[in-house]
Amino acid sequence: MGFADADEVEKYLGGIFAEALADQEIGPKLRATGISLKTVYADPDVTLLIDLGAGQVTRVDESAESGAEMRMAADTGNSYWQGKVNLPLAMAKGKVKVSGDIASLLKLAPLTKKLVPAYVARLNADGRTDLLA
Amino acid sequence: MSGASMRPFDELDVSPLEFWSTTMEERDKTFSVLRRERPLSWHRPMQGGLLAPDIDGVWVATSHELIAEVSKKPEIYSSAQGINMEDLSEDIVEAASSMLGTDPPKHGSLRKVISSAFTPKRVSLIQEQIEGQAARIVDDLLKEKEGDFVKLVSKRLPMWTVFEMLGLEEELREETALHAEELVSWNDDDVAAGRQPMELLNGALVSLLTIGMEFAGRRRAEPKSDLMTALVQAEVDGRKLTDDEIGSFFVLLSVAGNDTTRNTTTIAARALQDFPVQRALLMEDFDGRIGGAIEEFVRWTSPVMSFRRTVTEDTVLGGHDLLKGDWVVMLYTSGNRDESVFVDPWKFDITRSPNPHQGFGGGGPHFCMGNFVAKMQLRAIFDQLLHRAPNLRVGDPDFLTGSFVRSVKSMPCTVD
Ligand code: HEM
Repeated sequence: MGFADADEVEKYLGGIFAEALADQEIGPKLRATGISLKTVYADPDVTLLIDLGAGQVTRVDESAESGAEMRMAADTGNSYWQGKVNLPLAMAKGKVKVSGDIASLLKLAPLTKKLVPAYVARLNADGRTDLLA
Repeated sequence: MSGASMRPFDELDVSPLEFWSTTMEERDKTFSVLRRERPLSWHRPMQGGLLAPDIDGVWVATSHELIAEVSKKPEIYSSAQGINMEDLSEDIVEAASSMLGTDPPKHGSLRKVISSAFTPKRVSLIQEQIEGQAARIVDDLLKEKEGDFVKLVSKRLPMWTVFEMLGLEEELREETALHAEELVSWNDDDVAAGRQPMELLNGALVSLLTIGMEFAGRRRAEPKSDLMTALVQAEVDGRKLTDDEIGSFFVLLSVAGNDTTRNTTTIAARALQDFPVQRALLMEDFDGRIGGAIEEFVRWTSPVMSFRRTVTEDTVLGGHDLLKGDWVVMLYTSGNRDESVFVDPWKFDITRSPNPHQGFGGGGPHFCMGNFVAKMQLRAIFDQLLHRAPNLRVGDPDFLTGSFVRSVKSMPCTVD
């Protein structure tokens, strides 16, 4: 099972950033990176702009400007936040494509690993065990 | 403040990159004091170009004894949280280091499957090719007469051997070698050429993984008689290697088998010139003495200067209380000059016996898996060089800056 529609993708894959930005420990670190990251999800299709400097997550058009960009299937995004996707290996297999300010993006990766428990807890709390990897 | 952050750093500072830009001789003056007085010491985190580690400091093991102890207790001193001094993400450690970045029991099961394919017997199948290639390298050197020894000689055999063994297609070799080089040299300004270290490292890694996995796919579809075919077919206790595991092992082989052997060749060539008595001794009975000489080449060079472990439970090492999560850095480069183990450690002695050097590691489960490949190459190239280019003269090596590999970027040479 996967996400039913774009709203669900936004709710969970965008929501985890919103939650992280509100986190006392991780929030300030994320803001400090000042990165604007565009995440382009496919199937269901939706593009989210994560503006870490401003602390905002918004749904945008795929052509929106950003500092860095990541493209992946929404399913891959769901697995990523559960700690099941190894980024370099996924990039090598073409499952995750990155462009733009890759150096900053890569610095973000270890921070996002800390969010895995929160993401899994959210799925469980919402009874979305169908999304658990 | 935690206990660790209050602990004062050792007055001898081994952390700055500047310290690692001096010579091994110079650095060993510091290590020698540490070995004898404080074989485990506490230091600032090592300086590097990547993610600043979220730690207060690092333990540094400088004695042969403590390096061996750490190496042999993988349950306490873990490799899975990273093996280098920089704080690389877990993803990168996993993707780039294959079994080198795993702990028991995962390590054992992975090493077992891989070593069922990667055997001395399989490598001996290409022994003649290695000797043939070494002869061609020296043919070319004799034709060129002068140039950079690293480019003309040292660099040519190791990568070629790994590719030949694996069966990698000719047209992919140059590109693969380039990425393998980038993966270990992101800290060096010359190699980075303005690129961000992290970006360079990740780009090189992803490229190598891609090449490795596609290569595995081709051998799965159409088996041949090479190592890659053996790897995709390998099965022990019903366990086979996944594409990810093969991709990572391909990366590990391209790196582990490459600059280690290259730098040993370069630095040993210089040592044989600096110590003509030793060289004469070797030439008196080449076949009888080359085996021991190669061990000394590796001890003398210590091409891998350090690896790191992470403490998994509170423990005691060298009389110090170590806490879970602490980093321990093993300095093989220091263990190989330990005066309590090696008589006159700064003597280059090709007849040294016993020679329990730590060039291939401190003797635990991760002990260099390709040491027999390295030895076969070193034997072949020095056989050719010493017998066919007796008038080879080499100049001063230009070293790469960093605390991980002791790498020579270039070294002028002439033959007449
Ligand atoms: C003079 C040349 C070489 C040196 C000095 C060297 C050194 C090392 C060291 C220090 C380790 C880690 C040991 C430990 O953690 O205890 C290692 C592991 C390894 N080396 Fe080498 N190496 C050399 C050549 C090679 C070659 C030619 C290959 C392959 C073709 C190779 C393949 C490996 C592999 C696969 C491992 C990982 C073993 C494991 O984690 O179980 N090495 N090597």
